[in-house]
Amino acid sequence: MEFRETLLTSLRTLSSHKMRSLLTMLGIVIGAGALVAVMSLIAGLNQSVAAQFQSIGTDIISVSRYPWVQMGDSDEFRRRKNITIADAEAVGRLPSVGLMAPNIHTRRNISYGGETVRFTLVTGSTPEYETIDNYLVENGRFITRIDVERHRASAVLGSEIAEELFPVRDPIGRKVKVGGKQFTVIGVMKEKGDILGESLDALVIIPISTFEKAFGSRRSVVIDCSPEEGVSMSRTIEEIRQILRIRRKVPRGDPDNFAINTQSDLLSSYNQITGVLYMAMVGIVGLALLVGGIGVMNVMLVSVAERTREIGVRKAIGARRADVTKQFLVEAIILTGLGGAIGILGGAALALLVRKVTPLPAAVTPTAVAIAAAFALIAGVLFGVYPATRAGRLNPMEALRYE
Amino acid sequence: MLIELDGLFKTYEVGTQKVPALKNITIDVKETEYLAIMGPSGSGKSTLMNIIGCLDIPTEGSYRLKGREVGTLDDDELAEIRSAEIGFVFQTFNLLPRMTAFQNVELPLIYGRASRKGRSDRVWETIDAVGLKERAHHRPSELSGGQRQRVAIARALINRPSIILADEPTGNLDSTTGEEIMQIFRQLNNAGNTIILVTHEQYIAEHARRIVKLLDGEVASDTTA
Repeated sequence: MEFRETLLTSLRTLSSHKMRSLLTMLGIVIGAGALVAVMSLIAGLNQSVAAQFQSIGTDIISVSRYPWVQMGDSDEFRRRKNITIADAEAVGRLPSVGLMAPNIHTRRNISYGGETVRFTLVTGSTPEYETIDNYLVENGRFITRIDVERHRASAVLGSEIAEELFPVRDPIGRKVKVGGKQFTVIGVMKEKGDILGESLDALVIIPISTFEKAFGSRRSVVIDCSPEEGVSMSRTIEEIRQILRIRRKVPRGDPDNFAINTQSDLLSSYNQITGVLYMAMVGIVGLALLVGGIGVMNVMLVSVAERTREIGVRKAIGARRADVTKQFLVEAIILTGLGGAIGILGGAALALLVRKVTPLPAAVTPTAVAIAAAFALIAGVLFGVYPATRAGRLNPMEALRYE
Repeated sequence: MLIELDGLFKTYEVGTQKVPALKNITIDVKETEYLAIMGPSGSGKSTLMNIIGCLDIPTEGSYRLKGREVGTLDDDELAEIRSAEIGFVFQTFNLLPRMTAFQNVELPLIYGRASRKGRSDRVWETIDAVGLKERAHHRPSELSGGQRQRVAIARALINRPSIILADEPTGNLDSTTGEEIMQIFRQLNNAGNTIILVTHEQYIAEHARRIVKLLDGEVASDTTA
């Protein structure tokens, strides 16, 4: 029997049971739709996170007391010694280290005139921070060596803070209050955007010396640095590790009591998390399609039983086993294929809707569509084969007698 | 010789018991014959028809169709023979309800792998021969019993089979319509078609030129008018 005829026959049968066909497809529709929607959301998330991580700077090494992504014993973290400015200077003197900027952080209210931005990140650092941490000054200047040496009360504002405090006026030269102390605005930074939902522009940067004088010197220092030209990331990291272990007196064989963070570490732990999520999703959707497929098989078996006589007639007038089997198999594949197609369209629509109404740049990937389509078709074949084979094997004489 | 049945037995197994349905049947049927197989229910006439129609195979003995032994063929080979050599007409018509008369008649051509070219002409020709040209695009449910049986006859004829096997073809029709259907079989036989009619009605059987009577699975009489 030609394929065209098989296809027409199957379509005719399915359309004569529209409601049943639709309900049968539903499981596959939902499975395929969920797959495409979730994969699109994750793809969008990955894209935006990758772009965000670029804004940190690709070859920054950031040494701190705690790792960026914490997994494990937090008590041990809390008992760790502070990293000091002297530690930072020792790191800075390593031949493999290029630029180095120690930085310390606190949260204070910042105000100008009647406006106050509460609980804002205040960072104390050195001029190198601008380059290493990829902050570009848009207006005015960054803090200088002299600002640091003379403990000047100079402040560089993040673009968000500048906008809040100085919606109209030029902030340069104005006096702002940071944690109750007076600072002179010397510059405003260019917008950097968000990272994992947190703004990189809601901060004030002041000289590290001024920071310690104003807010105390008992905080742990973060050491941001980059490798010297021509030195590999891994070598630089190794040298930093060695010197800090010595300075912090870590016994041989004990783990580090500090953390060396890099962008690629962060990205890989992020990818690990979404990778697990991804696989879990594929598993769940596989399960949904399995359930949908069993539904298809069930309906196909009912259909075979219902049409026993029709099968007998077809065989009596010359249909071979394969003709009958093919017809039922095509029916099952049309059910799951159509269900898959509807699901893919629905899932894609959902993803695009998310993209429209949320900041998440959901992206429908060809991979997601291909996987959903493949799953749906495979389900059709897998769950269609048994009922179809059963139909093909029916004895024509008995089938004709079936009431 | 078209059909040669020689020492044919058919035994069904019901549980552990063996129930003989046909016992030592030996019949020859020549081309262009018009044969009626008669007998009360349980006489084995349906079983015999199923075997002649290649829907079933004998337990013992030989059935040669156009000189070819049929009893040893597998499912698909039997399907090929049904497709090429046999045209069935059933008591309950057995048309496919979702297809039009035209599509029902076309179906054996599709299973017989006839090329699409010229298929439609042949269907029209055959439907015209049973006088249903105007109703060709109606579904079975929109046709009268007589019309349905005409469609079924057209479907049986379309592959130009060697044998037309009609199983109680008038059983579901009123006597006038039944008579019309029997006239069609008469014309088909006059045109050279071999017809085997299975019935339990004497007056229907009398349309045939030869009557084989079965009783308890055996040939009781074989008379040619």
